[in-house]
Amino acid sequence: MKTAQHFGLIFLMMAAVQIIICNCFHLSAYVSLSVLPAMVLFIPLNIGTVLSMLIAFGTGLAVDALGEGLIGLNALALVPVALLRIPVTRLVFGEDVIERQEDISFRKFGAGKIATAILIMQALFLAVYIIADGAGTRPFWFNAARFAASLASGCILSMIAASVLLPDTKK
Amino acid sequence: MRRTRDISLTVIAAIFIILEIAALSMLRHSGTIQNMWISRCIHVIQANLWGSGESIRYYFSLKKKNDELAEENFRLSQEVRHYRLAAGETQAMDICTAADTAGRFRYIPATIVKLGNNSQHNYMIIGKGYEDGIEERSGIITAKGVIGVIDAVGKHYSYALSFRNAGISISARIGRTGPVGSLNWDGMTSHGAILSEIPHHIRLTQGDTVFTSGYSSMFPPDIPLGTTSGSRVVNGATYEISVSLFEDFSTLRYVTIVNNTGKKEIEKLEKE
Repeated sequence: MKTAQHFGLIFLMMAAVQIIICNCFHLSAYVSLSVLPAMVLFIPLNIGTVLSMLIAFGTGLAVDALGEGLIGLNALALVPVALLRIPVTRLVFGEDVIERQEDISFRKFGAGKIATAILIMQALFLAVYIIADGAGTRPFWFNAARFAASLASGCILSMIAASVLLPDTKK
Repeated sequence: MRRTRDISLTVIAAIFIILEIAALSMLRHSGTIQNMWISRCIHVIQANLWGSGESIRYYFSLKKKNDELAEENFRLSQEVRHYRLAAGETQAMDICTAADTAGRFRYIPATIVKLGNNSQHNYMIIGKGYEDGIEERSGIITAKGVIGVIDAVGKHYSYALSFRNAGISISARIGRTGPVGSLNWDGMTSHGAILSEIPHHIRLTQGDTVFTSGYSSMFPPDIPLGTTSGSRVVNGATYEISVSLFEDFSTLRYVTIVNNTGKKEIEKLEKE
């Protein structure tokens, strides 16, 4: 219960950080910084898919409403991330983590596996986000360049976010 | 356990779809470009759904179309028969159509509603009965051969013995002017028959076409039945010739019932 409360507070804090990023950090038209996929990925495993999808939808909507963006865009891109959270966790970290509902930590799984999971989620999020944001009006090369630049910067930022979100790194 | 899992997956899928639709709806109202894009996507999906629906509807209307085509085919065959009669032709031409050479046969189109193909005594149920003018001991033909004989007639349906029945025998001729014999199903293959009682002195050629002889009161003459494929001498007196039938009994659906209008008179004379 304590862990869940703790995670909830950090989650809200990270959402606030994302809102600040959306409002203040416009690096380039090619870069969309987001830590939202990592936040959804590391929702504790005792929270089911349905609830995590609702959390993702609410978080995305809050970021859309409070940040400078189209309402529904982050929510649209974040719900598939929540849907695939458990399959991706199973794929990267193994079946045992799901069965025991263990916490994911850098100490236990290493940065490589965590980076892989973040990369998959970030790619899924950005694919939906960039397609919906462009709405068929931008050329493919622009979308591809934006995807690559955003994926690289987003993964780095998400690794920093993960070090805050995941439990044992603070001990 | 499996059922619980299925329900859980259904709930997850339903909530996912609801949330995505809600997000798309909000996105549609917050950006003009997104509005146009989503509208275009909706139109594409609607068009695809409509197209698929039309394909399914078209598929299920094929049976009706087939029935209409069979009716039209029958009507055209009937016209051909009438023109031939008017032109004074007494022999069927090269085209494969059932010919009425004497003008004493009445033709009724029909469909097979049940077809037995797995025993030595195969039968058929025809989708027409005495209300449609079907009579007992009428022949059943197609453009590619003789199919059977009507054995019993109900109000709307008729029971017929298939040619692929050990008890059915029809009078057949090799070529249009050749010797006449008795044609029976070989009892083994779906397209094999035996033409027997052909005199020994006749010179045979493989691949000759076998026609109905016209000696039967049930079938008109010159309906092509099949081709000869091999022969053997029986009791040193007659040939028994293998015939490969034209008609594929496994795909039969549309047939023509043929009724000899002078059959009663012939039978009466035979009794006397």
